[in-house]
Amino acid sequence: MIKTEKTLHLRRFRGRKVRVVREHYLREQVPCFSSLCQADCANGIKVLPGDLTHYVVPDADVVVNYLEILELRELQGIIFTQTACQALHSKGRRCVYSAAVWYYNHLAGMMNVVMITEDEEAVAQYSSLHSGVYVISVQDYLQNFWPDLQAAQELYTSISQALEEKEAEDSQREFPEHLPAEVMEAGIKSGRYIQGTLSVNKHRALNEALVLTEGSCSQSMDLSSGVLVHGGKNRNRAVHGDVVVVELLPKSEWKGRVTALTEGQGDDRSADDGQENPMPTGRVVGVLQRNWRDYVVTFPSRDATQSQSRNCQRVLTIPWDRRIPKIRISTQQADTLQDHRVVVRLDSWESTSLYPNGHSVKVLGRAGELETEVQTILVENCIHVPAFSEAQMKEMPLSSPERPWRVDPAEAAKRRDLRDSHLVFSIDPVGCEDVDDTLSVRSLADGTLLELGVHIADVTHFVAEGSLTDLEARTRATTYYLADRRYDMLPAVLSADLCSLLGGVDRYAMSVLWELDAESLAVRRVWYGRTVIRSSYQLHYELAQALLNGEEVRVPELEQFCPEEKDLKLAQLIQALEMLTRVARHLRLQRDRGGALELEGVEVRAQLDKDKNITALVPRQPLEVHETVAECMIYANHWVARKIQESFPNRALLRRHPPPRQELFNQLVDTAKVMGFSIDTRTNKALADSLDRAADPQDPMVNRLLRMMATRAMSQALYFSTGSQPQDQFYHYGLALDRYTHFTSPIRRYADIVVHRLLTAALELEQGAEPAGILATNRELEELAQHINNKNWTAQRAQSASTGLFQCLFFRDRDPQTDLRCLADAIVYSIRDNGVLVFVSEYGIKGPVYLKNKEGQVVSAEPDGSCKWQSGKVRRYPSYITTTSGGCTSTFRLMSHITVRISVHSSNCHSDALVLEVVSNQPHRGSEPQRPASQGHRQLVQEVVRLAESAQQQAAHAPKLSREERDFLQSKTPNLYSILEEIRELALMDPEAVPRLTDPVKTGQ
Amino acid sequence: MAGLELLSDQGYRLDGRKATELRKVQARMGVFAQADGSAYLEQGNTKALAVVYGPHEIRGSRSRALHDRAVINCQYSMATFSTAERKRRPHGDRKSTEMSLHLKQTFEAAVLTELYPRSQIDIYVKILQSDGGNYSVCVNAATLAVIDAGIPMRDYVCACTVGFVDETSLADLCYAEESGGVSSLALALLPRGGQIALVQMDARLHQDHLDTLIEAAMTACKGVSKVLDQVVRQHLQEASTLQE
Repeated sequence: MIKTEKTLHLRRFRGRKVRVVREHYLREQVPCFSSLCQADCANGIKVLPGDLTHYVVPDADVVVNYLEILELRELQGIIFTQTACQALHSKGRRCVYSAAVWYYNHLAGMMNVVMITEDEEAVAQYSSLHSGVYVISVQDYLQNFWPDLQAAQELYTSISQALEEKEAEDSQREFPEHLPAEVMEAGIKSGRYIQGTLSVNKHRALNEALVLTEGSCSQSMDLSSGVLVHGGKNRNRAVHGDVVVVELLPKSEWKGRVTALTEGQGDDRSADDGQENPMPTGRVVGVLQRNWRDYVVTFPSRDATQSQSRNCQRVLTIPWDRRIPKIRISTQQADTLQDHRVVVRLDSWESTSLYPNGHSVKVLGRAGELETEVQTILVENCIHVPAFSEAQMKEMPLSSPERPWRVDPAEAAKRRDLRDSHLVFSIDPVGCEDVDDTLSVRSLADGTLLELGVHIADVTHFVAEGSLTDLEARTRATTYYLADRRYDMLPAVLSADLCSLLGGVDRYAMSVLWELDAESLAVRRVWYGRTVIRSSYQLHYELAQALLNGEEVRVPELEQFCPEEKDLKLAQLIQALEMLTRVARHLRLQRDRGGALELEGVEVRAQLDKDKNITALVPRQPLEVHETVAECMIYANHWVARKIQESFPNRALLRRHPPPRQELFNQLVDTAKVMGFSIDTRTNKALADSLDRAADPQDPMVNRLLRMMATRAMSQALYFSTGSQPQDQFYHYGLALDRYTHFTSPIRRYADIVVHRLLTAALELEQGAEPAGILATNRELEELAQHINNKNWTAQRAQSASTGLFQCLFFRDRDPQTDLRCLADAIVYSIRDNGVLVFVSEYGIKGPVYLKNKEGQVVSAEPDGSCKWQSGKVRRYPSYITTTSGGCTSTFRLMSHITVRISVHSSNCHSDALVLEVVSNQPHRGSEPQRPASQGHRQLVQEVVRLAESAQQQAAHAPKLSREERDFLQSKTPNLYSILEEIRELALMDPEAVPRLTDPVKTGQ
Repeated sequence: MAGLELLSDQGYRLDGRKATELRKVQARMGVFAQADGSAYLEQGNTKALAVVYGPHEIRGSRSRALHDRAVINCQYSMATFSTAERKRRPHGDRKSTEMSLHLKQTFEAAVLTELYPRSQIDIYVKILQSDGGNYSVCVNAATLAVIDAGIPMRDYVCACTVGFVDETSLADLCYAEESGGVSSLALALLPRGGQIALVQMDARLHQDHLDTLIEAAMTACKGVSKVLDQVVRQHLQEASTLQE
């Protein structure tokens, strides 16, 4: 019970010099976590592999300063001592050394141990004391042990230079000093200063920044829209995302925000920053908390680098994110790193310096290459997805092609067995590997009852709460889908094999079974529980739709049967699909009555050839089965939400969709008014109805655009814990359901895993048993929900950034002057001071079109519609914008079609951007706008044909392609509305289109 | 939480203990010859000296005397050098008065006062060095002193503070932990019967956790009682061998 004792005498400063004595207990036995251990330590999972040449023990200084080197994946077998972690400097070295010696002895000399330190005395003192334990400096260590690891050496020099930099700094002040923390706190309390998060305007990064305040901190004036911080001096070294303290300037110095469109280039036209409606303006007096993350920067090319005179080691690099100031980096590799993208960390920003200091951490690659750009997107969105570690993989059950994993009979006995009684099938995108939902439907009791079943992969059976895999999944929170790849939330052995409800194999599932009245489809009984299932058919959407349409198609699972049996089974399957469709239509109708919305999102997928070049941008394809499956999933989610909310009224994880703020609808209502429609936004039902009415028979695009604008006005759906919101806030506005959660994709979303655990606990509670694990409290759950929400947003941002990247790559290889594909039809959906915002439906691009350029010239249209730049004036009206030059006036109306040329504005340091230029104020190619849907459609069919062809060509690359396929199709799911909308749009196409669409895919298989 | 990580991922506390481990307890009985009973107790770096006089006649005003049992008079004080910053007043301030009252309550529950009607027992406790858990150390020291004085008690009174961090109860908090924003609870226990002589808590804690926390405190107190028992037995052995 009692351990040996040792006291440490530390000196601390608190006003006066105070001597604090703290005891420190040393224990005789700590687990060594090494797989070489001879002494039977209670190691649990062995994390230190035994097959290394040596172990490294860094001391406190090294850990503090050179952590980035130790983070490199190549370096393994690093032992962090508690001493080093607490960075207790005094006596630290001796402790670390004793730890190193202990390790050497403990493992009976089977492993060499290296201690690394930056203290030369220590090297001299300890290096010869003990054979088998080497004490050396970091530089020697890297040179001797890792001569091939260039990255580590570079990192070392970069960091050590940054450290040296810190010392030698002197020159005049560029910024006022920040106030001390006590003064700021007192100022905030007294209301003199305002606390908030700094958010820099992306388009005017040099001058405009807003401080968004939390809550209403000042009663005297309305600061809800934030405090403007104008100019770099006033911003006083704060970086986007920091929590800062601002002081308001006198009213005479208040400024307004600029509303004109500017090019993202950051070249601010200083002339007329709007004096018209001034808003509270302030200056930053201090930073409460730095929220610095890893930034991606680009090293400038040699010829472009400016003041290299003073010190050629220092380079000003340009961050990828425009909102971040240039970062000064000391490096000797400025030459080799030209035009490379590099991850940097900020170290400091002294008041004497115009720019912050940083050091480089990792080189991503040359700017403009696909791999570099994708990595950039990941880093900029703080997505960190290393490969799963050895310890995590050890938790996974084994499954190999030779010895496939099998259902454990003991476990199966505890579950309800649906293997023989139910016809279970899944409908997913083509080539889907992680099938997490399956369906079943059958009639009971002589056809008076219908039993609908939704069976979801039982991930929680494999991922125990608190296990390493669980923690990793929790950190990732979701699977990240980028345009050309994905990063899984769970290891592949689970997501693609054991949890995936593949056809023809036994799998564990969580099921929800409803008994419905066959006639009225009213719910009689609901059963929730764990089951064993065997999916009979693994269908994909196109195949299922073809079966429903009564076409002759081949079902792969039925090939082995003889013709009669095959027909019988096929008939069963089709009957089940029809029943399912009937139920889904009914459910949909119910929700429609409640006011469910159909909204519009733009979704385009890039089609890649085998070298990852983009051959086309294809809008997504809607089918009725999509809706059927989605409807069943919504239904399952809804019922599970009801169940867990009733069982755990204070700590269930639900998803709510708050009603949108009415003022956000203003743009929509105004635009619709111009078009002669009235939009009623009071309730979701009214909105849905009025959106349905607001259709222009001449131009279906108008309705799509209005729906798109409605989508933009929507607030985001959120996860939350039921204890943290009153019950009337649970409502899901978009789906028109009083309670909703996510239950159906536990392989891809962590929220679903949490819901599965809650459901299991609820079922155990019902049977009178104590739930096995301790359930998360309301507060923990709320924190978790917040975390998942954040991660979902970053995932969405990364996804749209990668879609944008692929759009740019698509157009980059084409010459905008000659290639016809760069000309497209666009529709004006918003009017600004010096231009219009347009939507290009063909490629799903939204962007600004300038009608006035920097030289003051404006676009003027010739009688035949073609446009030229001439000097003139622009005037803005509520529903149109006119340009006047040389006596002739041309008008651009809201919702009118124009032709634009799409080109890429490539920028070395930032992401490429698409530039839209007006070519003609007439619709593209004269006749087509009358039926733009079919035009887009025809092109689409061509693309699909090409897709099939390229699929045939690259049979070897098939897995890659199929993965891409489903990435695009699956990435959809966060946004159910757009799926539904796409389905709705099917009605606009000619009916024979569907078979034509599916054909090539089928033959391609 | 003051930026301090009170419980590391590996389950170690600031001073290297695990969550349920107590600090090292060392004690000696009979340190003063003049007093009827005395004891010195160290629990980690918290050091306390307890002295007991009595039972004796009521000193001062007779009116305080109780006809059916003895009056227990406690005085708690802290040496001026006991804390990191020198204290101005060793005793008599509000904190000390409160602590004295707590001690009094604790020992009224433990000492068989009805054996000594119309008399008085004085317990003086002084903290020589303060490093967290002052109350419990005082109680433990005073118990030994009372035993040394030969005053009959129902049982040892053992006290321990426990705190609650990251869903875990930490036994026997040190100063760094106490000041690190832990919601702490002090509990005095008569271990054999499991009766609680005093519980004191002035921090916020969710009701659901209270039971686990009290449970942890009771186990910790039982741990302390084992040590005290050992000390008493050893002291008796030494005393008896001396007399022989």
